[in-house]
Amino acid sequence: MESMIFDTAERLFRDHVSHGLREDAAAGQCPEALWTRIEEAGLHMALVPEEAGGFGVPASEALGLVRIAGAHGLPLPLAETLIANAVLARAGLALSGGRLTIAEGDGLQLERRGGAVHASGHLTLVPFARWADRIVTIAALDGADHVLSLPVKDLTVTPARDLAGMPRDDVAVDLDLPGANAAALPVSMGGMRRLGALVRSLATTGAMETILKMSVEYANDRVQFGRPIGKFQAIQQYLATMAGETAASRTAAEMAADSYDTAAFALNVAAAKSRAGEAAETVGALAHQIHGAIGYTQEHALHHFTKRIWSWRDEFGTELDWTKELGRAALSSPHDTFWHFITDSTAQGAMA
Amino acid sequence: MTLTAFPSPPPGADYDDLRQEVRAFLAKELADFPPEKRAESWNGYNRDFSRKLAQRGWVGMTFPKEYGGHARSALERYVVSEELLAAGAPVISHWIADRQSGPLILAKGTEDQKRAIVPRIAAGELCFCIGMSEPDSGSDLAATRTVATEVEGGFRVNGTKVWTTYAHVADYMILFCRTGKSDDRHGGMSQFLIDLKTTENIQISPIIDLGGEHHFNQVVFDNTFLPSDALLGQQGEGWSQVMSELAFERSGPERFLSSFALIEELIRLLRKDSTEAQQAEIGRLSAHLKVLRQMSRSVAGMLNEGENPALQAAIVKDLGALYEQDIPRLARSLLSRPAVPGGRDSYAAVLAYTELAVPSFSLRGGTREILRGIIARGLGLR
Repeated sequence: MESMIFDTAERLFRDHVSHGLREDAAAGQCPEALWTRIEEAGLHMALVPEEAGGFGVPASEALGLVRIAGAHGLPLPLAETLIANAVLARAGLALSGGRLTIAEGDGLQLERRGGAVHASGHLTLVPFARWADRIVTIAALDGADHVLSLPVKDLTVTPARDLAGMPRDDVAVDLDLPGANAAALPVSMGGMRRLGALVRSLATTGAMETILKMSVEYANDRVQFGRPIGKFQAIQQYLATMAGETAASRTAAEMAADSYDTAAFALNVAAAKSRAGEAAETVGALAHQIHGAIGYTQEHALHHFTKRIWSWRDEFGTELDWTKELGRAALSSPHDTFWHFITDSTAQGAMA
Repeated sequence: MTLTAFPSPPPGADYDDLRQEVRAFLAKELADFPPEKRAESWNGYNRDFSRKLAQRGWVGMTFPKEYGGHARSALERYVVSEELLAAGAPVISHWIADRQSGPLILAKGTEDQKRAIVPRIAAGELCFCIGMSEPDSGSDLAATRTVATEVEGGFRVNGTKVWTTYAHVADYMILFCRTGKSDDRHGGMSQFLIDLKTTENIQISPIIDLGGEHHFNQVVFDNTFLPSDALLGQQGEGWSQVMSELAFERSGPERFLSSFALIEELIRLLRKDSTEAQQAEIGRLSAHLKVLRQMSRSVAGMLNEGENPALQAAIVKDLGALYEQDIPRLARSLLSRPAVPGGRDSYAAVLAYTELAVPSFSLRGGTREILRGIIARGLGLR
C-alpha cells in the first residue's frame, strides 16, 4: 500500500507540477485541474480512518504524502486538506469534499446562540484561504476544544501572501454555525498549531531534499577553473552539511509522524518543527551559495523551494516557540535526570 | 535521495525492561562515582566494572552463544550502550572490543581465533586497541607505511602507530598494515591480531594529551615477529575489512553523548530557575538530542539487518560531533560560572574537563573533513 500511494503521488506531481505551474500559482492562479487529479486519486482522504471513508493507510504513510508534495513545491493545500479531513472525521463532522485549509483558532470567540454556535473574530495568515472551500479550525467553547468547519463563501477574506507568493490570507469571521459545522472534539489531536507544525516539518524536509538534489546536480554540471565546482572541497563540505541537516530534519519529521495520536506526539512535533526550521536556515543559505548568481533569479527553479522553506519556518510556531515549549518540558519534568526525560517516549509537554 | 532517509527503528526497540535493569545496576555500581569522573565518558577505564557488566550479560550481547555471547539484537545492545554513556560509566576497557574488534573477529577470524578470543571479550576480560593511524598517515589511511614481511612461520613487522588509545593497558591490538605491493592504493593491506602481553619487540610509550591525560600511545614495531595465525581475515583484504568496521565505529551513541555529563550538570542548575531564553536553548538541545538518538538507533536497526550503512554512519558522526562539541559553548552562554579544573563545584569541574576534551571529538574516528568527503561522494558527486 505504501508504495502504491507514494508512487501515485510521485507520478502525479512529477508530471504536473512544473516550474511554470509554480510560477503561475505564485502569480495568483490556482491550479484547479491539478486539484481535480489529486481528488480523483483520493490523496486528500489518506489521513481519514477507514471507518470514516478513508482507505486505511497508516497515518505515518498518509503523512508521507506531505513530504512528497513539499519535494515538488506543490502550490495547493493538500497537507491542509489531509489534516482538515482527519480533524473533521475525529469530531464526527461531515466530510463535504473540496479544497480545505486549516487555521489556528486562537483569535475566535465562540458562544451558543439557540441551537447554533456563533463564531466571531479573526484568523490570520490562513494558508490558501481564498482557494479553499472551507477553513477547519479548533477553538474553545465551554472550556472544551470544538472543531469548526467554516464555509469560505460566508467569510470576509483579505488576500495576503507568504515569501513564496502562496496565499496566506486574513479572514474575518462572524457567523452562526449549525451543528453540522461545529462539534466538540472527543479526543484531543494536539491542537491545530501542532498538526500544522507537523505537516510543515514534513514539507520542509521534502523541499530540502529537492534543494539538495538540485545543488548536487549543479555542482556536477557547473564548470569553473576548468572543472566541475563539485570537485572543490569547499563545495563538497557544503553539500555534506546540507545532507546532514536534511537527514536530521527528515528523521525528526518522520519521528513526529510515526507518533501521530500517541503520547509522544506533542514533544516530537516540538522537536521536529524546531529542527526542520533550523535546518532550513543552513540548507537555504548553502544552496544559494553553491548556485551562485543564477540561483538568485526568478528564472531558476531554486527560489520556489528556498522561499517555501523560509516561509514554513514561521508558520504554526517558530523555532523559538517550539524550543521554549520543549525546554520548559525538559526543565520542569518529574524525571530524576534529563536523560530519563529524553528516553521516556511518553513524556508529556508542559502546555503553555 | 536515500542518503537522507533513516528508517525508524522497529517497534518495540525501547526494551524498557532491559533499560530499567541497566539503570538499577548503574545506580548501585556508580553510587559514589562523582560527576567529574563521569565527564570522562567512554574514556574512563575500570576493568572490574567491565567484568561486572559482563557478568550481567551486557558485554558481547550480539555475539553468538557458542562464543560466549548472548545472541541479542543490535538494538538491545544499543539500549545498554546509551545507558552506560548517559551515566558516564567507565567503559573503555571493553568498549572497543565489544563494538568493533569482536564483531570483526567473528566475521573474518579463523575458528581458532574466534574460540580463543571472543568468549574472553564477552566475559569483559579483554581490552583491545586499534592500530591504524601513523605519524604520516592520519586521515589518509592508505598512506600506511608499517609493513609486515612474510618470513618462515609468520611475519616480521616494522613501523610506528600513533594515537593508539589505551595501548598501554590493552591485551590485544588489531593492526592495520601493508603486506604487499599493489597498483591499487587500497590494495596490499592486511589486519593482524596481536597479543600485546606476550609479543616481543613492541615498544609502547605514552603521548599525553592537552588535558594532561594519558589515553594515547605511540607503538613501535621493531622487527616484531608475528606467527602466521596472527593474520586476521584475508591477506590483502585489509582495506575492505577496515571499511566494514567503520559503520560500527561511527554510528553509536558515543558519537553524540561524550559531553553528556556537562548537559546533566547544566540542566540540574537550570531546573531551579530559568529564563525563557535559557528554556529555548535547552529545548533546542533536547530537539537535537532526540533526533540524533533516533538517527543513531536507525543505523543500529540497519546493522541488525546485516546492511552496511557506512554513509548514514558518517552523517551521524558528523552531526554528533558538532553537537557534543557545542555543549561547553552552550553552557557558557547560559550560565556565568567559570571552569575550574578539579574544582570542588561539580559544574565547574565538569565544564573544565569537557572544554579540554571536545577538540578531539571531530578528529577521532575520522575527521570532520574526511566524513564530509565521504558523504559528498555518497550524494553522487562525480
